[in-house]
Amino acid sequence: MRRLLLLACFLVSHPVLAEAPAFRQAIAPLLQTHCLKCHAGKKARAELDLTTRQKLLEGGGSGPAIKPGDAAGSLLFQLVRDGKMPPRQPLAQADIDTFRRWIDAGAPWEGSALQAPVAKEMTPTDLWSLRPIRRPTVPTPRQSAIVRTPVDAFLLSALEAKGLSFAPQADRRTLIRRVYFDLIGLPPTPEQIDDFLNDPRADAYERLVDRLLASPQHGERWARHWLDVVRFAESHGYEMNTLRPNAWPYRDWVIRAFNSDLPFREFVRQQFAGDVLAGSDPLTSAATGFLVAGAHDMVGNATLEGKLQQRADDLFDIVATTGSTFLGLTVGCARCHDHKFDPIGQKDFYALQALVAGVEHAERDWNALPTPQRDRDIARLTEQLGQLEQQLDALEAPVGTKGRPGVLPRRNVERFAPIQARFVRFTVLATTDGTEPCIDELELYGPGQSDNLALASRGVKPSASSVYPNSAIHRIEHLNDGQLGNSRSWISNQRGGWVQLELPSPVLLDRIIWGRDRQEQFRDRLASRYRIEVSLTGKDWVTVASHEDRLPPGVAAKESQAASEQLREQQRQLQEQLAALRQPPRVYAGTFRTPDVVHRLRRGDVMQKLEVVPPGGIAAIRPALELSPSAPEPQRRLALADWLTHPDNPLPARVIVNRLWHWHFGQGLVRTPGDFGNNGDRPSHPELLDWLADTFRASGGSFKAIHRLIVLSTAYRQSSRHDSRAASMDADNRLLWRYSPRRLEAEALRDALLQTAGSLDLRMGGPGYHLWEYSGYVIVFKPKPRLGPTEFRRMIYQFKPRLQQDGTFGAFDCPDATTVVARRNVSTTALQALNLLNDPFVLDQADRFAGRVQAEVGSDPVRQVERAFRLALGRSPSEKERSAAVPLVQQHGLALLGRTLFNTNEFLFVH
Amino acid sequence: MSTSLLSLAGQALLDRRHFLTHLGSGLQGIALVHLLAGSSSASPKGPIRPVIRPEAPLAARPPHFPARAKRVLHIFCSGACSHLDTFDYKPELLRRDGQPLPGGENLITFQGANGNLARSPYAFRQRGKCGKWTSDLLPYIGDCVDELCFIHSMTAKSNTHGPAESQMNTGFTLEGFPSVGAWVSYALGSEQQDLPAFVAINDPRGVPQIGPANWSSGFLPAVFQGTAFSASQPIANLTAPARLSPAAQRDASSLLRLLNEEHLARHPGDSALALAARIASYELAARMQLSAPAVSDLSRESKATRDLYGADDSNPLLAGFARNCLLARRLLEKGVRFVQLFNGAYAMGEGVGNWDGHRQLKKDYDRHGPILDKPVAALLRDLKSRGLLDDTLVVWSTEFGRMPTFQKGAQGRDHNPAGFTVWLAGAGVKKGHSYGATDDFGHRAVDQVTTIYDLHATILHLLGLDHERLSYYHNGIERRLTDVHGHVIRGILA
Repeated sequence: MRRLLLLACFLVSHPVLAEAPAFRQAIAPLLQTHCLKCHAGKKARAELDLTTRQKLLEGGGSGPAIKPGDAAGSLLFQLVRDGKMPPRQPLAQADIDTFRRWIDAGAPWEGSALQAPVAKEMTPTDLWSLRPIRRPTVPTPRQSAIVRTPVDAFLLSALEAKGLSFAPQADRRTLIRRVYFDLIGLPPTPEQIDDFLNDPRADAYERLVDRLLASPQHGERWARHWLDVVRFAESHGYEMNTLRPNAWPYRDWVIRAFNSDLPFREFVRQQFAGDVLAGSDPLTSAATGFLVAGAHDMVGNATLEGKLQQRADDLFDIVATTGSTFLGLTVGCARCHDHKFDPIGQKDFYALQALVAGVEHAERDWNALPTPQRDRDIARLTEQLGQLEQQLDALEAPVGTKGRPGVLPRRNVERFAPIQARFVRFTVLATTDGTEPCIDELELYGPGQSDNLALASRGVKPSASSVYPNSAIHRIEHLNDGQLGNSRSWISNQRGGWVQLELPSPVLLDRIIWGRDRQEQFRDRLASRYRIEVSLTGKDWVTVASHEDRLPPGVAAKESQAASEQLREQQRQLQEQLAALRQPPRVYAGTFRTPDVVHRLRRGDVMQKLEVVPPGGIAAIRPALELSPSAPEPQRRLALADWLTHPDNPLPARVIVNRLWHWHFGQGLVRTPGDFGNNGDRPSHPELLDWLADTFRASGGSFKAIHRLIVLSTAYRQSSRHDSRAASMDADNRLLWRYSPRRLEAEALRDALLQTAGSLDLRMGGPGYHLWEYSGYVIVFKPKPRLGPTEFRRMIYQFKPRLQQDGTFGAFDCPDATTVVARRNVSTTALQALNLLNDPFVLDQADRFAGRVQAEVGSDPVRQVERAFRLALGRSPSEKERSAAVPLVQQHGLALLGRTLFNTNEFLFVH
Repeated sequence: MSTSLLSLAGQALLDRRHFLTHLGSGLQGIALVHLLAGSSSASPKGPIRPVIRPEAPLAARPPHFPARAKRVLHIFCSGACSHLDTFDYKPELLRRDGQPLPGGENLITFQGANGNLARSPYAFRQRGKCGKWTSDLLPYIGDCVDELCFIHSMTAKSNTHGPAESQMNTGFTLEGFPSVGAWVSYALGSEQQDLPAFVAINDPRGVPQIGPANWSSGFLPAVFQGTAFSASQPIANLTAPARLSPAAQRDASSLLRLLNEEHLARHPGDSALALAARIASYELAARMQLSAPAVSDLSRESKATRDLYGADDSNPLLAGFARNCLLARRLLEKGVRFVQLFNGAYAMGEGVGNWDGHRQLKKDYDRHGPILDKPVAALLRDLKSRGLLDDTLVVWSTEFGRMPTFQKGAQGRDHNPAGFTVWLAGAGVKKGHSYGATDDFGHRAVDQVTTIYDLHATILHLLGLDHERLSYYHNGIERRLTDVHGHVIRGILA
């Protein structure tokens, strides 16, 4: 020891005597550790190979690497000294000194060429999830009596191995609330709870599960899970965030797929190629909405790089989503380089990209409904609208009332005191846009009558000051032909002008209805200044209506009556439906074209194309995806879908059954449902996962078969009772020694609130309802000032823009659809509390809840409290709770009890 | 008050040791602490994940190493504020005004073809002791140059507002990533528990291009998301409706407490953690209902202070932004961890309400300059005079720079991500200093070229955080603010 120390001192004080550092001990390890990964062999970076002294002397693209004897003049030393090499982690000062001394000493070399470190070649079997699925034997646990489905056998065996078991079974009241939220996303009503509690049959629970799985609400609940995974939203995202009003059919397809238990193979194939598989079923063709459910940058970019980047980002989104959704692999990581952890080469990424390189973000024509059906629907809705409008007309303010609504292009009502008339004249003084006026139909009505007295078929003769010349569609005869719309209308040949109707005999009138275009295709030529006169003789005229008491065109009157408000709402809905029906249907489900040739890109840079990559799958996944490089566009997508659903491809079946498990229990057998790679979780029960995956395949890919296996199990039916011994061994409950309680997701919370308040509208499908008013070419989202019954549908039908959250429920960890969400966060914030306490929507529901309870049980506070608890929490209040709640109701009203119940943990948690 | 909402059973659960063994229950995303600890935590460069207590997710947490800054103010100019008309003085641009950009004959940028080099319509002069040249567009900020540390060699990855704004505020051009403020709140929590840890103050004119994505928590738990409010827009749903009397509110609170305690008693054990956390969130809400209106009450400021900012200026936009600046100072003073202050909004379209001067730069900037200038200068002076600049880091940025040329047929500049200016001030950075440079025309960064990753790495470093170790597992990847890039910009550290 003493000698060593002396030697060290000697070396430090006399560096010149130190000579060269030992090559094998000092230099070779430095080169091997820090340099040869890049600078070795034929593919050496910058053509610089550092494996032999000769090659160091020859150098690479920038000249010789070393000048023996002159470290300061040697490139290798300069780069190392300046921290430029190695690029990421500069060497320690001591190592830099070692290099300097070695070169200064003439760079002596020992032995032959150095070996570059060998990169570990990944083989498929290195990754557990790529191994073939094997059907394991179902184990026999000791307590086989409590095994209900094979799921229990696997779980119980693992528990028993640790000396644990399942918790006792949950009571029926807890169980029904759990299974309702789980399978349909809604709480059970008090009556449904009672039915179940009182059902004496041994299979009461099985029957309940079957009923829920058959309920149309089941698809709505599970579609929401799926839409998280596929980053579905109804706007483009990025800065413009333009809306996609026709993206909803994909959402409806997902709902139908889960409700009809669409076999998994078809579930996948339709999402990639529904357009070519649809036959006469329009919803199937909408399934390709999956491909384009992600964000899409709409901003025009004049640079080539900008354009290429936008396209590359679109395709990246499709490939990365496909990878995580169906393969549970982070394929997106291989955009710029080979995957660091999993056997996915950069080439694999581009091979997958070539399969979808014909997909464009766009709407396409959508043959949504057979035409006769649509015509019938239009006729039916038009008739409904007509009836509704008669009711509204009766509520319309009569002529002479200041502030009547401004004229609208579609339809205007003039109501006046009954008067006898044989002539009616409509004189237009000015139009909104200064052009010749147009009237599509002039209708006359008597008190309490719904028959149009103006029709030509009654012998009424129209005339006019002038008529638009040479037009087949704009004729004076169209004024009272009973046919509505621009193509059956009158247009004047001058700015202004009049039309007149002459009846065969005098009639009593109290209403005149007119419009410019009842089909609302045109908004120009609208009479803004006008008067309407009647006469018995055709000589002495009496003015019965004019623009003078109307607000400016288009300005709505202040509604005073609740009745008319409700009718107006219905009218608006009918009009929207009609407008939607009249539009040629379109769907945001992508368009398809000849794919561009796909190149691998150096470091993912769109400006640095490398070799051409033909379409293909991930090489490490067997069986291989076989496809001719010249396969036409739809064949590529079909080949991808077929590869993803090939019975021997082990990933998709494992991934999907794990997702189902995750959504039932709150955590998957693999807790990273979107990552089955080396960086993800390992399955807690590998045999169970394989057994489920194999059973799923054998069932023909039936989701409901797996649901039943899980939901009917003893494991699922156990209580959430805490067990400190089990917790000390398995804090995360991976072994499922109990049911883990969960907070409701944003959607289940909103739906539950609406149902409890008695407001929930269970209408299914079609365009969603909106929370915002939109403006600007970069969309500005302004919350609607008030939400009403239109917005009381389930949240799955809420129009979902990207990035923009529901102002009340978004705070409950609702995904904003910017990325795929395999598992939601569950966080607890003060803003959630503030929203549930004070948001106008919640307070409105509390009022409605109070109204409901009052209507159901009358005004006795004790009965009100009883009913309120049963509706909100599915149980009666305890004595203590009752005696606290009744005074609250007595002093502050029933709505406040509703607000309080909506805020309880019991309302938000499922046990 | 602060503990009265919790039953004894609940409090017992909030025992810290208990949390350490049951992290997964309250914040599921964090359950993976155990899961992925394996190889990485053994390594000295492995991830450092903050320990989040479910009942107090915003409790203050220690940094990785001693911090220079305790809090951050990020002033962001939306629309791409031109470096050439503000802080990057280029004499060569004056000399070559009207001549073609050398080598730029057929240059196509974001909106298309470019015309000739164009000098700034604003004169530059030397200011402060350091003699820094800045333009007459922002004379008040110019007078603060001795406090500022300029980075003139910043570069962005995108030439498009949305992705570039996203990069400056979240580190990524793609959507869905947590904002800088969310990362900081996740790492450090907050030093006060009565206000949000992270506040985003929007311009009186509206929200920036990508709106809430600028203060999103991305894949981090929602509790780390920025809370948006401003001097004119209080926190949504902060106050109970007027029709609820104080007595009604009080009685409803006690009933809620009773119901939650009864429920908690029926669910003992660790399942009560999440329940107790929710009870605690109502306490925080109650405290916020008192604190937020108080901190937003600018009438408590002296007339001298209000005048310093221009809070009562006759220009309502200047006055509105000035009040937001004043609010920012009050929030920082209260210990809010991260304040994001936006100048400019997109709602009104290109250049009208923001710095996107494509067509008529002078006309646009004559409007925007004064709105930004006096209030921000006042904020810097006010922070300094209160000693807050010692431990507050101020960052001024924008999404990218603008071209030294005017666009063909226009009097404004196109987008230029190849070189632009940001500046920092306060805790841990040099004063009166300039770092890096663009070329003679201000077209491209050429000296000490810097990336947004570097800027973010530096912000985290000043907060005592190692940007390579602050991470969160998401969708198969250990995610960082700086992705796999970023170097601390040592040259600007004091």
